[in-house]
Amino acid sequence: MLRRWLNEIHFPLFFAVVALAAIGILFIYSASYRDPGNYEAKQVFWILAGLVVLISVPFIGYRPFLSVSYPFYFLTLILLVLVDFFGSKVLGAQRWLTLGPIAIQPSEFAKVGALLAGVNFLGSHHPWEGQTKTVSVALLLLAVPLFLIIKQPDLGTALLFIPMSIVILFLWGVRKRFLITSLSALLLAAPLAWGFLKGYQKKRLMVFLNPSLDPLGSGYTALQSKIAVGSGGFWGKGYLAGTQTQLHFVPEHHTDFIFCVIGEELGFLGSLLVLCLYGFLFHSIFLVMQHTTDVKAKMLCGGVLALLFSHVIINVGMTIGLMPIAGVPLPLVSYGGSSFIMTCLCLGLVLSVYKERSIF
Amino acid sequence: MMFTRFHFFQTFVFILMALLGLGLFQTQVLRGSYYYELSKRNRVRLIPLEAPRGRVLDQKDRLLAANRPSYNVIAIPEDITPEVYPRLAKLLEIPEKEVRRRMSAGREYPFAPAVIKEDVPQELAFLIEERRPELSGVSVRVEGIRYYPYGETASHVIGYIGAVSPREYEDMDHDRFGINSKIGRAGIERAFDDDLRGWRGGQQIEVDARGQMVRVLSDRKPEAGSDIKLTLDLEFQKKIMSMVNGLHASIAVLDLETDGLLALASAPAYDPNIFVSPAASEQRLRILKDENSPMLDRGINAAYPPGSIFKLVTALAGLDLGKITPQTRFRCTGTFQLGPKSKPVHCWNHEGHGSLNLYEALERSCNVYFFNVAKRLTPDEIAHYAHELGLGEPLKLEISRMAPGLIPDSAWKKEHFNQPWFQGETLNMAIGQGYMLVTPFEILRLTSIIAKNGKVVEPHLVVQDSTVMPEIPRVAIREENLEAVKRAMLQVVESDYGTGQLARVDFDKLAGKTGTAQAPPQKAHSWMTGFFPYKNPKIAFVVFVEHGGSGGVTSARLVKQMLEAWRDLHVAPVA
Repeated sequence: MLRRWLNEIHFPLFFAVVALAAIGILFIYSASYRDPGNYEAKQVFWILAGLVVLISVPFIGYRPFLSVSYPFYFLTLILLVLVDFFGSKVLGAQRWLTLGPIAIQPSEFAKVGALLAGVNFLGSHHPWEGQTKTVSVALLLLAVPLFLIIKQPDLGTALLFIPMSIVILFLWGVRKRFLITSLSALLLAAPLAWGFLKGYQKKRLMVFLNPSLDPLGSGYTALQSKIAVGSGGFWGKGYLAGTQTQLHFVPEHHTDFIFCVIGEELGFLGSLLVLCLYGFLFHSIFLVMQHTTDVKAKMLCGGVLALLFSHVIINVGMTIGLMPIAGVPLPLVSYGGSSFIMTCLCLGLVLSVYKERSIF
Repeated sequence: MMFTRFHFFQTFVFILMALLGLGLFQTQVLRGSYYYELSKRNRVRLIPLEAPRGRVLDQKDRLLAANRPSYNVIAIPEDITPEVYPRLAKLLEIPEKEVRRRMSAGREYPFAPAVIKEDVPQELAFLIEERRPELSGVSVRVEGIRYYPYGETASHVIGYIGAVSPREYEDMDHDRFGINSKIGRAGIERAFDDDLRGWRGGQQIEVDARGQMVRVLSDRKPEAGSDIKLTLDLEFQKKIMSMVNGLHASIAVLDLETDGLLALASAPAYDPNIFVSPAASEQRLRILKDENSPMLDRGINAAYPPGSIFKLVTALAGLDLGKITPQTRFRCTGTFQLGPKSKPVHCWNHEGHGSLNLYEALERSCNVYFFNVAKRLTPDEIAHYAHELGLGEPLKLEISRMAPGLIPDSAWKKEHFNQPWFQGETLNMAIGQGYMLVTPFEILRLTSIIAKNGKVVEPHLVVQDSTVMPEIPRVAIREENLEAVKRAMLQVVESDYGTGQLARVDFDKLAGKTGTAQAPPQKAHSWMTGFFPYKNPKIAFVVFVEHGGSGGVTSARLVKQMLEAWRDLHVAPVA
């Protein structure tokens, strides 16, 4: 029994998750041991909870998740609307919903909700029949949570919907022509939407794209995080020996900017190690995708991969100035329960695809 | 093997991951030593720059609120060495403890400068600059500070600014408010804070080991706030302030062509500059504790019994409801009894005015005539006309935030005293006594509506674009009745029996109404309102003197002075 169970776990993937979570604990501690909060202890709890989710999802299988995807999708929409009314404000954005002792971030759940609903909807329709209609409905499914998240305003998280949507449509078999026209339509519509934005929203967007416009706010963060990562050099300053992040130059250094701590204290070698672990994780997901014939499973894995991948690119990219500053966590490493558990749920779905792989 | 979509996706992911790795290589290995240098002493400082506040101008672009340069001593606590504290304390003549307290006060981010002392004299600023080598981390910054060139002249209109509290700062847009920012606390400064306030800028600078700037890394210029232009005429306002000097009074003058206020004065006033300069805290306390309440705008935010001024409303109610005509006569014997058993009430003229029509009754302000009118009216009818003329209705003035005065009616009486309305109270109401309270500003609006034959008037202070002319609503009072009241107001001043004769001027005809509102045990409040000239009125005004005695004396004299000042400034001298 145990042996069979062990056989069905995709170990490389499991290993990557545990390794990244361990790095997370080490650097959450480094980033916050001077502050009250015991974030690393809390994170240990979230990691254990997440690992339980990770290994129990394959028992259920991904199909039940797909079959409840619509109710789940609507639940996440309701949470997003609730956060608008009752959410607590952190740094000017309404992102958190407090339920008794725990605060949840509905946008994390919404990502998974939209992914499952999108995959389920697309998977139930054949790409050769009535593609226009199918794609329009799918895009609507994905756009509603996107719009609600933009309203919070959490532009970074909202933008993560776009690569995820493109990937699942792409793997489903949307016509290239369609993909190109909708992308160019999006680009053309952008100036139009610009006109509807209010002054401060435009400013926020401009600063998002070009932080040097705001040397006081995110421009300062951008520069300081770059100094932190860059000053790590090749070998790093040593664990707990970072100066930039320890002195609170970089905000949110145990959550969104945790990569600054890693880059500063472990240097290029450490950064590369983290990148390789992510690469390994992505590779494992690709392997799982290769061994399934179910189009829904393929899309599901692809969507999960796109989500994780865009998180990593945006998060690491913003610390070295390749990407705009956005409130996007580094999956499995950043402090945060909602994010960790949702990532584990996603990867659990991938594992269950592996479990139900066709053997040939 | 075919190159499928799957392979495309896979290739894309790994190419981007490789690019990310290259980016890290560039930042950490190739540029690593540069960033290491920057990080070694945390050589990057962020200096916020406050945006210059917009100015407040009068109708002829004269400055009512402006900015002057101020030398502020700032310090970056992380760059300070211990021996600097006593030196700085000695130079600034403040206790060393205070220097340390300022240094550790809340800051926006690490290495941000703390303000040690604002607005130091120029010589001291230069001295500190000279001695900078021994004062590491300290510097002098020139910033704009609010300045009100005319002090008390229009203080209640302009208002003043004050520092934001740390609690307010938490919830504010940090692109607009810093921890040391000022915010409008009263008047125009408060009402238009959002327009006057610009957008903050900042500089990222690189400093050397002694905290001195080496170069600017990044710079965002602050954006100045926009100016606000008022309808006030500074010269006129000044003259009016000098007239009410020493009194507890308020005068408001409205330009009837634009509905813009030419003058809005309240005395005693305060100098708003004391709220700007941190050195003036003693003066601030004195002003706030002053029993004469100089902070109170008596024209807008204080309500008084209107006295005989209210007879204008009673007359209009009687006329418009058809209870009287302008020719209706009543006999004044000096006393009036509601019924045979009622307590007699008196006219202010105990000898009696004899038989009067409405014009004469208003002209001489006969109480008994209006007691007779009141007998034919219910309190709710009078209250209806008061509200129609804007009494007890909210103001749309930019700087007003007080509830208007009080116009009692039977429902109000029931609610507050749980008693029915007594007819005797209607008599009191008809002559503007009793529970009734109005602000001088509401009286100004009432007079303006009468002067404009019933067009609704909403006085304002900020110059408006006259391009959009919406249809101006009218009050529901027949124009011929307003005409009759206007003629009576003319007689108040121009007739030799009129109560407002002392306001008469020789260059044109004035129409007005005086009021002497009883305020026992002290002297009565003195009122006069009116419009000028009688034909084609250009201005409307209200004059109110707290415990000033007779309206026909104290206020009427002020009206005459005010009109002469207005003529000197606004009517081209005849060649």
